[in-house]
Amino acid sequence: MTFPLGDAPEPSEAQDAASTDAAFTALLEDSVDDLYESAPCGYLSTLMDGTIAKINATLLGRLGLERRDVVGHQRFADLLTVGGKLYHETHFAPLLQMKGAISGIALEMKKADGGRIPVLVSSVVKHGGEGEPLLIRTTVFDACDRRAYEEELQRRKQEAERAHRQAEADRARLQEALAALQQSLLPASLPAVPGVETATYYHTAAPDRLGGDFYDLFALDGERWAFFLGDVCGKGPEAAAVTSLTRYTLRAAALHDPDPVTALTTLNTVLHERCTGGDPRYCTAIFGILTPDPETGRAAVEVASGGHPPALVIRADGGTDFLPTPGGLLVGALPEASFTSATTTLGPGDTLLLYTDGLTEARTGPDRAELYGDRALLDFVAGHAGASPQGMVEALTGLLESLGDGVDDDTALLAVGVPRTLASSRPATDHRR
Amino acid sequence: MKIAARDAATGPVLEIVGDLDYGTAHELREHVGRTALRPGQCLVLDLSRLEFCDSSGITALIAARNHAAAARAEVALAGVPDNTLRILRIVGLDQVFALHPDAQSAVDARSAPTPRV
Repeated sequence: MTFPLGDAPEPSEAQDAASTDAAFTALLEDSVDDLYESAPCGYLSTLMDGTIAKINATLLGRLGLERRDVVGHQRFADLLTVGGKLYHETHFAPLLQMKGAISGIALEMKKADGGRIPVLVSSVVKHGGEGEPLLIRTTVFDACDRRAYEEELQRRKQEAERAHRQAEADRARLQEALAALQQSLLPASLPAVPGVETATYYHTAAPDRLGGDFYDLFALDGERWAFFLGDVCGKGPEAAAVTSLTRYTLRAAALHDPDPVTALTTLNTVLHERCTGGDPRYCTAIFGILTPDPETGRAAVEVASGGHPPALVIRADGGTDFLPTPGGLLVGALPEASFTSATTTLGPGDTLLLYTDGLTEARTGPDRAELYGDRALLDFVAGHAGASPQGMVEALTGLLESLGDGVDDDTALLAVGVPRTLASSRPATDHRR
Repeated sequence: MKIAARDAATGPVLEIVGDLDYGTAHELREHVGRTALRPGQCLVLDLSRLEFCDSSGITALIAARNHAAAARAEVALAGVPDNTLRILRIVGLDQVFALHPDAQSAVDARSAPTPRV
């Protein structure tokens, strides 16, 4: 719709201005007092000592006070709550005296019925002709809504903080549970084996995740010790459940029959039975039996491997080679699995190293085509021949650290060796007849 | 990863192209799960264009073998790249899967007349 100009009769401009002026004049004359008394905020004027000289009806109404009880009888501070009074005395009044004006101060006023009203107070000092202070003019804005809003904000903030604290506590509890579970997957420390030194290393790729690698070493009887190291396919809680099952199955199997091939075959049966449907759960593992001979100071080793990278034997003289167990199949993947065993003897200064593929599959280049590899590992450990198991593990830990982000899988190391110094100082060799 | 399926005289042939890893292995497992196999057939997995295979990929291959075994069928791997072959050897699966240089020879090997028992 349009309003074509000129169609309707226009009142003359002079006539229009006159009527507007009249309306304004009437409005102003009519409301100067009323504007003060019924303004949408409280007004009051006090003498310099705070005695209330004038107060509007809005504020009186809000506080539920009678004018005759207030004017000339009370000071502004008397209208405030105890806290408000204190703040007025210590901050408000001194600041006003110093600066001559103050605005937007949050105070609380008390009502006749005992209630409280949050208010925002602004004051200005009116000066006389000589610059002397005469009185204080004050406006009082009701801050109920604002206070409610602030309280709501505060409440929400507290709620958020509570939720945050709860989440932190939950997270800490979960971490604790994970750590406890992880501890149940790995021995806290390895038992001492006479005439043999052992060392281990364990690293999970993600600190908040359970690792899938595992190792253990334990006594079978007074003469033999069993050890194993492996890697469960997958990560997280499901893998941890398989790791736990693997560890306790191998321990029980070894106590029943310490033959390495038999132990892995038992594990294969247990894991394969557990895996139902199309979700294969398997692991790779090396299982071994260690028999130290106190007479010779040497230790006989028999190992069997199920789909695991072969163990390394590092001789004291630098000769280093894999201990191949060809054809050993992943454990638990298939109903029937064959494993082969291999034997060796560790002399003084010799070390047997078991490792998981977190080390050999560590990336050394920008993509996954360049991996650290078996060959590099062989050369590296050969360079540390003669080192104690602890020394070897420390050297490998340094190597893993140098590979940095290239190590994106869990890594476990177990080194078993016959100490060079201890063995050579032993009278064992004297027993040879 | 992409999977191209075709039927040969001996049964289905699935060509797997790209990376078979944690992110994609489930696709192969689902695809194999949907692939119908009759007793005596051979499921050929053509890996000649496989670029990478991790332990999740190996799990998918084992799942394929289990699927075939449940249908009384077999599985053959064709054109296995060297890096994957190395892993198969470490985990002993090179003896579990029939290995062929390429998909055609896998099919031919199965098509050859076998004496009836």
